[in-house]
Amino acid sequence: MPLKHYEHCCSTIQALASLGKIEGVIPLLHGPQPCSYQNQVGSMSCRPAQLVTAGTLVNKSDVIFGGEAGLKQQVKNLYAKYHPKVIVIINTCIPQLIGEDIEGVIIELKKEIPELKVSTCLTGFNYPRSMPLGSDAAWVAVIDTFEKQEKVPGSIGIVGRTGQDAGNLASLEMFFKKAEIPYFVFPTPHIDSMSKIVCAEKYYPIHITPWLTCKHLSENFGGEVEFIEIPAGIQGTSNFLRAVADRHKNQKLHDLVDEEEKRVMPELEKIKERFAKEKVRMLMVSGPANEVSVGKIFAEFGAEVFVVPSMKNKFYQQEKKLMQERYGVTFIEEDFDMIGDVIDRIKPTAVSVEFQAQPECISRLVPTFINMLYLCEYGYDYALDLGNNFFKNMHKPVYETWQNLVRKYGG
Amino acid sequence: MNETQKDFKMQELHTPSAFEGALWTCLGIKGADTIFHSPPGCYINQHVNALVNDWTCELYSTNLSYANIMQGAEDRMETTLRKIAAKKPGAILIVTAPTVEVTRDDVEGVAKKVNFKETVIIHPPIGGSLVEGKETAFIKILDLVDPKVKKVPRSVNIIGPTFSTFNWRADVYELTRMLAGIGVMVNCVYTAGATIDQIKTAAQAELNLCIYPYDSGVLVAKEMEKRFGIPYMADIIPIGFGNSAAWLESVAGFFKIDAGPYLKKTMANAFEFISSNMVFAVTFEMTAALSLENANTYAVGISEFLNKEVGVGIVMTAVGNHDAAKRLEALCDDVLICPTIEEKRDKFVEKGPMVIYGNFYDKKVSMDEGFKNFIFSDIPTIGYLSSENCPFMGFMGAKYLVEGLVNEVYMGIFLETKGDMMGAISTGAVPWDIEAEQAMIKVGEMIPHFVRATALKKLHSVAEQIAKERGTNVTLSIFREVSDKFTPTKFKAKFSAVFDDGAVPAPAADEDEEVPVSSLTFTMPWNDEAKGMLELVPSPFRQAAVSGTEDYARGKSRDTVIGATVEEFRKELGM
Repeated sequence: MPLKHYEHCCSTIQALASLGKIEGVIPLLHGPQPCSYQNQVGSMSCRPAQLVTAGTLVNKSDVIFGGEAGLKQQVKNLYAKYHPKVIVIINTCIPQLIGEDIEGVIIELKKEIPELKVSTCLTGFNYPRSMPLGSDAAWVAVIDTFEKQEKVPGSIGIVGRTGQDAGNLASLEMFFKKAEIPYFVFPTPHIDSMSKIVCAEKYYPIHITPWLTCKHLSENFGGEVEFIEIPAGIQGTSNFLRAVADRHKNQKLHDLVDEEEKRVMPELEKIKERFAKEKVRMLMVSGPANEVSVGKIFAEFGAEVFVVPSMKNKFYQQEKKLMQERYGVTFIEEDFDMIGDVIDRIKPTAVSVEFQAQPECISRLVPTFINMLYLCEYGYDYALDLGNNFFKNMHKPVYETWQNLVRKYGG
Repeated sequence: MNETQKDFKMQELHTPSAFEGALWTCLGIKGADTIFHSPPGCYINQHVNALVNDWTCELYSTNLSYANIMQGAEDRMETTLRKIAAKKPGAILIVTAPTVEVTRDDVEGVAKKVNFKETVIIHPPIGGSLVEGKETAFIKILDLVDPKVKKVPRSVNIIGPTFSTFNWRADVYELTRMLAGIGVMVNCVYTAGATIDQIKTAAQAELNLCIYPYDSGVLVAKEMEKRFGIPYMADIIPIGFGNSAAWLESVAGFFKIDAGPYLKKTMANAFEFISSNMVFAVTFEMTAALSLENANTYAVGISEFLNKEVGVGIVMTAVGNHDAAKRLEALCDDVLICPTIEEKRDKFVEKGPMVIYGNFYDKKVSMDEGFKNFIFSDIPTIGYLSSENCPFMGFMGAKYLVEGLVNEVYMGIFLETKGDMMGAISTGAVPWDIEAEQAMIKVGEMIPHFVRATALKKLHSVAEQIAKERGTNVTLSIFREVSDKFTPTKFKAKFSAVFDDGAVPAPAADEDEEVPVSSLTFTMPWNDEAKGMLELVPSPFRQAAVSGTEDYARGKSRDTVIGATVEEFRKELGM
């Protein structure tokens, strides 16, 4: 059993943060006060607006007698004040523990407010050790409110990871636009555009997290799901786009990829040369699943990469196999007590971790990157930017200064 | 007539002169009274400006008229001197004003006549610099120092602080604390805050520490070495953890003290601090400009600390002397020496630093250009209160510098990337032109990672909002406009590289057409002030500004748009 937990946050925050980036959706946190306080503060940094979180503040009396009445009233209050299209009840640990009848509340609400769509998702200890799956759970709840629409012939659905992807997928979208492939993306910043994902004939998840999301889309609205690989890095992006081009017999997309490769390959070669010279040993630990995708980019640059994954779902298994075979990436799936123990064992030249691991890493004077700051990692330019600035961003001279100071004075 | 050799600048940033230097050196000594032999205008300016930076000071004047000056003002000097002497101060320090320096009053003759024993007369050179004035006064005041006092073991003088030296109280307090930590006592701070008795017994110290080696104090330290046999140290600026430790170690070495245990404990605490979450994650992506022409030692010390120990990129420095400039060239490509206000402004805009350190002028110029993050660290300040609490020097100073920087910049940028607490996240899907999407990707790469994702969201959202109001796609020109106005702090200097690309089309010609305010469509009442503010909005965006402001007002349940509403909406948009 590990002594610490190195993920970014609780899956509740992840659900809250993702839903909090979609206009037309209001998340309602069904949980006790500490849950509301911590999750609101924790999600504040990444939410664009609507920063106030509605909650039910479950108390002792609710635990004994049930909090359904309060929950129902709070949904009504929210609707009366904000008129959202969708309210998602984030069902946290305490109501799960006492077996709250959330579905029952939703059925009653549907009768009372037919125009309002209410759904729910389970977070908290439902995903005890995979924070990013809070997004997957939240997206399923959103999808549950969608209605069937006509499929657009030849269209594709790009299914992203978290709310952070909403409005941030231009690096992929522009290829489909140029290649004139009808496409829909999920998530988007508005519930209206997001609900159009059901029009896609085929779904292509672009990250490892939305397994459940894709399953629900496919089961409820039809359409095949294919996880090709994460379109991160040069090869990853090309492979993904070429696979879509093949499936949809679109030569224009192939041509676009050819053009892009001509543009980016010389720069990639330079990055690889630098990585070969500096011999980077990179430890990527439990981020919002970007330990896998960003790890893949580093591996392509020639770094020796070690990944502590944040999840082990089906898409992860596929991406893991691919990264092992293509780049020889090492995956560390066994438990460890402290991240310091892993650092001492692996002896990386740099680590990428979440905030809470930073003091442990920097105190070992290992150059440290923060996972949550490296998001939307899709496409060619992201990879080049990461590679070109990696050594500058590592700030080795600063660590060397501190190594000298510590050596001289202690610390 | 001879041709002038001076290189005149139209908007010169005037710096303090030798007269300020001399007065500030005198004013900090408790128990000594200072007489400024000057006209009343000169006197009141000096007195008021000194009180802006320091808590209290005693300054008297001979209040000279034109006639006094022309006919000789010795009698005014004598009257004033006798009145002050009657108070029996610990010393009387007379500083002559520029007018008196022209007519060359015989102040020494007056002083001899009045015969107050502890009188020092300082004639600052006309055209002399602040440093020259300080050094002149420092050296003259040495006449009060008793050379025959017995040395006090393990004691030092701190040389250099004067009134109006930025943050001197806090720095002296911190350095005194650190010295006490290794068993070294401060005998005298020469001169700010010292009592006249401490000045008179300054020769008791075994070592002089010049804490502003790129500004002033070294000349007087050399003089003290000559007169009193006190060696001095001026080679390490105690700013930053490493240099503070090295400075203390050097002092300890002089006294043959083992500073190891103290430094170990202190550096362990420093190391714990820099290992914390909010230090490297933020500082590593920060850039700073330091504009400190009156605080050269700070410019060197702070730049080196921020760059070497916490990884801040120093994109520009402005200093007042060549020695400081030469040292800074090792870590900064753009080092300006006494630049004009225009040169500074242009450089701020060109470099787009995330934070600027400077004085009042820098604050104003940077605000005019839209820079939001600023840390006062030089004079003039025009109203800035400082005490012992926030040093820049020493271990506490190093922590405070990081705290100040992170708290100012991170929170500033963080809040700039946010919409309203209850504001809309999106106005709905709007198509994007491919060029605009490509530009967004490039712009994203220029935003620091610690706010990149959220900043992009704001850009995305505002671009769509504007496009929707205009009934168009998100075009490159819309995205350019949005990048310019809504990105955190001042990254637009960098963005120009994205938009200056030849492939990028210029804004559409029709955008230049004048749209009078009278032709706009209003759906709710606007008062004259609010309508007047629309004149400041570029023509092509006026109608969008009207609809955006009206939506905002409705969202706040207001039925009229007044000037304050426009201002609130503008702020919410981050403009």
